[in-house]
Amino acid sequence: MKAFKPVLTEYFHEQECHTLSFYKSVGGYSALEKVLKMDPQEVIQEVKDSNLRGRGGAGFSTGVKWGFIPKDSPKPTYLINNADESEPGTFKDRLLMNKAPHQMLEGMIIAAYAIGCQTAFIYIRGEFYKEFQLLKKIMAEAYENKLLGQNIMGSTYNLDVVIHRGAGAYICGEETGLIESLEGKRGWPRIKPPFPAIEGYLQCPTIVNNVETLACLPHIINRGADWFKSIGPEKGPGPRLFCISGRVNNPGVFEEPMGISLKDLIFDRAGGIPDGKKLKAVFPGGSSSAILTAEEALDVKMDFEELVEKGSMLGSAGVIVMDETVDMVQACLNIARFYAHESCGQCTPCREGTAWLVKMLTRLVNGGGTPTDIDMIFEIMDNIGGLIDFSKGSFGKTICPFGEAVAWPVRSFVEKFKDEFLEYLPREKVLA
Amino acid sequence: MNSNGTPNEKFTFTDKDKVEKILSQYPDKKSATLPLLHLAQSEQGYISGTVINTVGGLVDCHPALVMDCVSFYTMFYTKPHGRHIIQVCQTLSCSLNGADDLVDHVQDKYGIKPGETSEDDRFTLMKVECLGSCGTAPVVQINKDYHEDLSPEKFDDLLESLS
Amino acid sequence: MPLIKIDGKEFEVESGTTVLQTAEANGIEIPQYCYHPALEIVGSCRMCLVQVEGMPKLQVSCNTFVGDVPPDRKVDGKYDMVVHTQNDLVVQERKNILEFLLLNHPLDCPVCDQAGECYLQDYSFKFGSAHSRFEEEKRVRPNEYLGSQIVINHNRCILCSRCVRFTQEISGTSELFVEARGYNSKIAALEDRPLDNLLAGNVADICPVGALLSTDYIHKNRIWNLDQQPSVCQDCSVGCNVDVFSRKNQIFRLTARENQDVNGYFMCDIGRYGFHRFEEIDRVVQPLMRNGETFDALDWDEAIQKTAKLIEQAKGKTARMGSPFHTNESNFLLGQMMAGILGSLPPIRGEEINYPSGFRISADRSPNLRGMTDICGEIAEDLPFELNARNICGLYILDDGVDRDLDNTWKDILARMDFVIVQSYAMTDLAKSAHIVLPGLAPFEREGTITNDQGRVQWLRPSLPIQGEAKPDWEILALVMKEMDPGKLPMQDISQVMKEMGEKFPDYKGLSFFRLGSTGISLNGRHEA
Repeated sequence: MKAFKPVLTEYFHEQECHTLSFYKSVGGYSALEKVLKMDPQEVIQEVKDSNLRGRGGAGFSTGVKWGFIPKDSPKPTYLINNADESEPGTFKDRLLMNKAPHQMLEGMIIAAYAIGCQTAFIYIRGEFYKEFQLLKKIMAEAYENKLLGQNIMGSTYNLDVVIHRGAGAYICGEETGLIESLEGKRGWPRIKPPFPAIEGYLQCPTIVNNVETLACLPHIINRGADWFKSIGPEKGPGPRLFCISGRVNNPGVFEEPMGISLKDLIFDRAGGIPDGKKLKAVFPGGSSSAILTAEEALDVKMDFEELVEKGSMLGSAGVIVMDETVDMVQACLNIARFYAHESCGQCTPCREGTAWLVKMLTRLVNGGGTPTDIDMIFEIMDNIGGLIDFSKGSFGKTICPFGEAVAWPVRSFVEKFKDEFLEYLPREKVLA
Repeated sequence: MNSNGTPNEKFTFTDKDKVEKILSQYPDKKSATLPLLHLAQSEQGYISGTVINTVGGLVDCHPALVMDCVSFYTMFYTKPHGRHIIQVCQTLSCSLNGADDLVDHVQDKYGIKPGETSEDDRFTLMKVECLGSCGTAPVVQINKDYHEDLSPEKFDDLLESLS
Repeated sequence: MPLIKIDGKEFEVESGTTVLQTAEANGIEIPQYCYHPALEIVGSCRMCLVQVEGMPKLQVSCNTFVGDVPPDRKVDGKYDMVVHTQNDLVVQERKNILEFLLLNHPLDCPVCDQAGECYLQDYSFKFGSAHSRFEEEKRVRPNEYLGSQIVINHNRCILCSRCVRFTQEISGTSELFVEARGYNSKIAALEDRPLDNLLAGNVADICPVGALLSTDYIHKNRIWNLDQQPSVCQDCSVGCNVDVFSRKNQIFRLTARENQDVNGYFMCDIGRYGFHRFEEIDRVVQPLMRNGETFDALDWDEAIQKTAKLIEQAKGKTARMGSPFHTNESNFLLGQMMAGILGSLPPIRGEEINYPSGFRISADRSPNLRGMTDICGEIAEDLPFELNARNICGLYILDDGVDRDLDNTWKDILARMDFVIVQSYAMTDLAKSAHIVLPGLAPFEREGTITNDQGRVQWLRPSLPIQGEAKPDWEILALVMKEMDPGKLPMQDISQVMKEMGEKFPDYKGLSFFRLGSTGISLNGRHEA
């Protein structure tokens, strides 16, 4: 395998890599300097050309999203850095914030400049208290060094950044849920239209970008869109932080080019499965993606398009590995319980459906299941999140993608490991 | 319905400068709700009815809507807890790496079930969802600190060290 | 203007109209819970999902706006949007959403007040499946009082959040909120800030299921047993449109009726529960004449004759008092009855309350002050002064019907008079001081027109039957007028009164019940009909 030179995590082995002085010593903030001399539209075009896609989970083209901001709106524009990392299996943003906060900040300022924003927010999940303290220090440093505030780096551009702590809600990672939470309310996602780029925070145009997405920006500016596009598949390129956890010898974050094979990630980077056990199933993109069987997992590349073709998704690139010792039904129940706990309760299918699912699975696990239950799980999941086969037309009945996020994994568990579910049925029910 | 103190009873923030700073940061006062609630909770340990009255007054919002906000988020407590809130992550990666054993350990040794506080107010045990550190599973957050890569022995030592 | 096709039918609509509004305006039924025309759109119940061609997901019709699309994207070359609301896919999805809603819903219909007017019942019947597949334990919570007038049954609540939005947007008082999240969500109010504002009763009206109930009406009757009569509230000069639900001679409840020119969709609690005032009163149901400290009963002929005689004997020294609580017709005839001084008792006033949404409770707590001023004739400003100055010795009074403490001025006046004739439906203090009491009708028995403070004439319709020998107030006046002037043709019908009213007062010309209908007619800028 060709060794890939890390981009985002290049200096993570250095003790002082989080400090401003170190960051500057390796070329930090030179991208910002360049950007401040560019026209904002040029910056947007450069990012569009790079084919950078969001690293938060949705994978939407960043440049195109920025382009939705109305050019002539009298209302202020806002940028929100989504650091509410709560997707199970994902822990890369925390690493980026701890080790290279200035990289993220530089990306934020570049993004804010491109969309014409004067006040930006970092929405960090409440549990990341240590990271919050660190970011406060970083902000202070940045203000002192004219990297934030009035006349940044001597230019006419002003930007204020406010760090806002969340308070324990996965749904606040969804962009409109985040905006509601930032406005001081409960994190109930909003119906779209209107879209946040038109009416977001305080009904003003707002862009929400993930930490890693922003961290890529300085590098795109410094080395060019073409360089970025050349890393991995052209439709979804770039260096990517893959998180691997679960049943592996060396769990952690690995920076690799997009398109690396899942097999390499699991067996080479993460050191394979402990105690020589066999691979059974994998979540390729956080717990909101459909699981892949061992066979499927060993044959797939970590690429947006390819994973969709295989019936799953790249999502947040949070790989969770399950080996032969893992009971699929218990794992399914674990995930179902997570979603029932995090459901915001606003719309009917999700609120009632997730709770129904948990109750049914609990009953199944405790020996009270019937054969019709298994089929009913499919139906309930379709009623919430719709079919995975997009060609069939309808999918998703909920206000926000939470419905799909619970439906796809649970459905894939039952579909691919049906026999394990059947094992839980009491003998007499099966034979009847 | 919830008790929220008498309508006019207010909570007094000790760090008034911080309150002012928080309110001035945002383009809209109401956005200061969450940070003010965090501040009150760090000063008092939990969100009482008086806090809701005060914060409602500061951000120009009806107390009922502040309560709406408080009850939505898991990090806001509406009653006092033990000195050390032990939050064990129970989502998939941690569960696959022995999180359930950690919960059992607390239950067996200190006699408290998830949601309960020990008699001496030393520990409150909680099961929480993904803490965002799956690579170092199993993970436990005690008050504000993350404790990662825990084994039952390490966990036991850690708990013993907390008074 | 954009062209939309719904279920094969074409409609041209204003840009920005939603699919749901278009459907409702054209008789296509799309079930809905969380949508309410007066409240913000949330799209959370997911009941109004429809299929829009060209969009992969089903869309909520309450939030799908119709607008012009560029010609190359029009469907079939001419439609800006094509919607299906009745195809197999949509019908199946509705069943699924209903199944979710009914998961925890108790099978309470036999004991639930909402039965007969429940959206959940109606839609389950039309769109749902016959039985539930839910085999788990249902979530059960005890009922709670959200305020003194509203109780919530949590098990029936479908969390459409209409009530929460109501208290935030319409009454502006924000007592209600959603507590907790996900499956544990429930509607709540803070213990020391209960739902006790004057618009509280509306939340029971807008609740689509039997979760929020009015304690006043709870378990009293069944909606299908009750007669529904559209009418107008008489507790202040706003004149909110209402529906009165009654059975035989008892009113059970009032609900608001929509009128965009008067009250929007809502009414206040003063009017809503005001009908209770008339339940336990000392009714007058036949003509009475004073005999010392007591009253003797008379028959109508005698009473009318005696009344007319008293007035004639006074030789023009009789003053009349109209009432802003009486209809235009009664006040008009009082004005026409004879020449002389006209006045009225001091007005009943309360607090003027304005709500953020524009809803208003007037400070003037009488329903027809405008009508009385318009149609009675010249009302004296300082009646006690005039009564003195002109040596008035007799009074003919249309009683407000509101029990009030008469101050000494009025007590003296009444004591001084040779005769006082009061037309009233109850033995108020005023009636007790009369020489002759002529029994008129109580507010919910009256029919006629009243004019609100914005100049809208509305049709007041009766809900209760006439009691005893009482007669409509206009009829009593017509009989007295006939007795005083036998040559004149008597008025036999209220429409005759209205016709003459229109002739004497041009603004009121051409009014009839038929034309007033259920929304009334505005006097503003009104020309000859």
